[in-house]
Amino acid sequence: MIELRSTLAGRICLTVLSTLILLFLALPIVLIVVTSFGSDAFGSFPPDSWTLSWYENLFADGSKWPAALSLSALVAAMTTVFSLALGMTAATALVRSELPLRSAVYGLVLAPLVIPQVVVALGLFLLFEPAAMLGSPIAIALGHTVLASPIAVMILMATLKGIDERLEDAAASMGASRLTVARRITFPLAAPGMIAAAVFSFITSFDEFFISQFLSSVDTVTLPVQVFNVLQFDVDPSVTAVSAILIAVAVVALALVGVVRKLSGTGKQDGLLPTEPAVGLPAGSETR
Amino acid sequence: MAGSLLASKPTPAVTPSPVPRRGRLRRALSDRRTRFGLLNAAPVVVYLLILFIYPIFSTLLLSLKGEEGGWTLHWYADAFRGANLEILLTTLRISTETSLLSLVIGFLLAAAVSRLKPLWAGLVMLVVIVPHFISALVRTYGWIILLGEHGVINNALTDLHVPGAPFQLLYNELGVVIGTTSVMLPYTVLLLYAVMRGTDRRLLAAAAGMGAGRLTIFRRIYLPLVAPGLVNAGILCFILCLGYYLTPALMGGPKQTMVASLIDEQVMRQNQWNGASALGIILLLLTFAGLLLLRLVKSLGDAARKRGAAS
Repeated sequence: MIELRSTLAGRICLTVLSTLILLFLALPIVLIVVTSFGSDAFGSFPPDSWTLSWYENLFADGSKWPAALSLSALVAAMTTVFSLALGMTAATALVRSELPLRSAVYGLVLAPLVIPQVVVALGLFLLFEPAAMLGSPIAIALGHTVLASPIAVMILMATLKGIDERLEDAAASMGASRLTVARRITFPLAAPGMIAAAVFSFITSFDEFFISQFLSSVDTVTLPVQVFNVLQFDVDPSVTAVSAILIAVAVVALALVGVVRKLSGTGKQDGLLPTEPAVGLPAGSETR
Repeated sequence: MAGSLLASKPTPAVTPSPVPRRGRLRRALSDRRTRFGLLNAAPVVVYLLILFIYPIFSTLLLSLKGEEGGWTLHWYADAFRGANLEILLTTLRISTETSLLSLVIGFLLAAAVSRLKPLWAGLVMLVVIVPHFISALVRTYGWIILLGEHGVINNALTDLHVPGAPFQLLYNELGVVIGTTSVMLPYTVLLLYAVMRGTDRRLLAAAAGMGAGRLTIFRRIYLPLVAPGLVNAGILCFILCLGYYLTPALMGGPKQTMVASLIDEQVMRQNQWNGASALGIILLLLTFAGLLLLRLVKSLGDAARKRGAAS
């Protein structure tokens, strides 16, 4: 392989710069996790002594956090179900059929990713306000699904494209009914992708702020909205503990996707995570 | 992607249409694979028409409605006047600054990663991608503890007796740009990395073999090769910044109010829905303009490539 040799100075320069950039990305997150265990709320790093009291405070009597946490989990669970159902049918239509106006449907499905969230949130507010549905967990979940379903569709499209259709044809030719083919062939092969789609839908909803903010009422507040409300007035050590919990949820979810992909042996060549579709960039040829 | 996004909502298959088309439609409907596709596409299309397209449409209507009924452009005139105009310009300024910074930093990191061995490249990309899935709110909070007057950075600088410390790093433009850049960075890194991985590095070696200096190689060979990726990433980043709310709202001062904050304020505090709708539609039009630009650049690039291949 002919390669342009890089100079030593250039290499050192690039390494130092990239290390700084990676620190830029990771430092705020590491800092929150470490500080959440420190007895001095902020400032000194690393902390002088360690404590779990910020976490204990979260679940003390009269704390608003447990209600917010359970509401967020409920909304995220509903969003996952909606988005998986929409994603599975949409991906089947886009990958496995002759669809008239295919590019228009694909564009419509991806549009929520680039349209400013504040516009979506405002529109949903105008839709649910007259219906007196503000503060209803179902309304918030329906709103989150608008943002979560494009990601689910992209992941599931990539999954379906990776399944060899001849396997299904072979099963069908040997007399399996369409339902049997779907249940015994397609579903097991698509399961890792479905788990990934479910996980990313869950995180999208669990962390979503703007739609929740517009659709919440005084006594139904999701976790991110509650964090934001506290942060607007003060920097509160309990927020550090909640943030650390949010980080843990995201990391565990990503690890889950990584493990499933590893076990199922899918996507070995493109790294641990299905990066492009999961981040919200159309993968492969359709990017360019 | 941009092109298809601009496409209008799909017309349902049952709309009355001219006779020849109806014939084609009936033929298409008789195909089993087509029926299967329409059946499967229906849920997501109906869902998005009701919960995405219709709400945006009603926002548009509201922004054109006068206080005593009738149609008016009064709300748009308001949006381009006085303090509101200033907020609009601030939004454009902060979006530009952030996208340029994300582009430069993303370029450096992607260039470095594209030379690494696969294992190391995978690890570095993990550090880029994992933060992306951690709530932006949480990362913003991390920056607030980091940059505050008694935050980690200022404490460290004070301990080192740096003259002028503690610095004002928060509640000003610097804080907003730092925080927003860290949120946008994964997008630019991923887009640029995808392009850079695809470039043929033998071209660089060939140029060097023919006696080109490093700067010339970078300017005449490498930059043109990755230029489409840079434009793509820059415009996408700009679009995403336009409607961004969290970080500017938490890390900015009064001079860093963005349009999204103004919309929030008008809906939540002032019950001024019409004005908020007009601002939302302006954001939407700016986004469309960005997507159109993206498409234009892409077709220009394709045309140039075709010319190059033909000659």
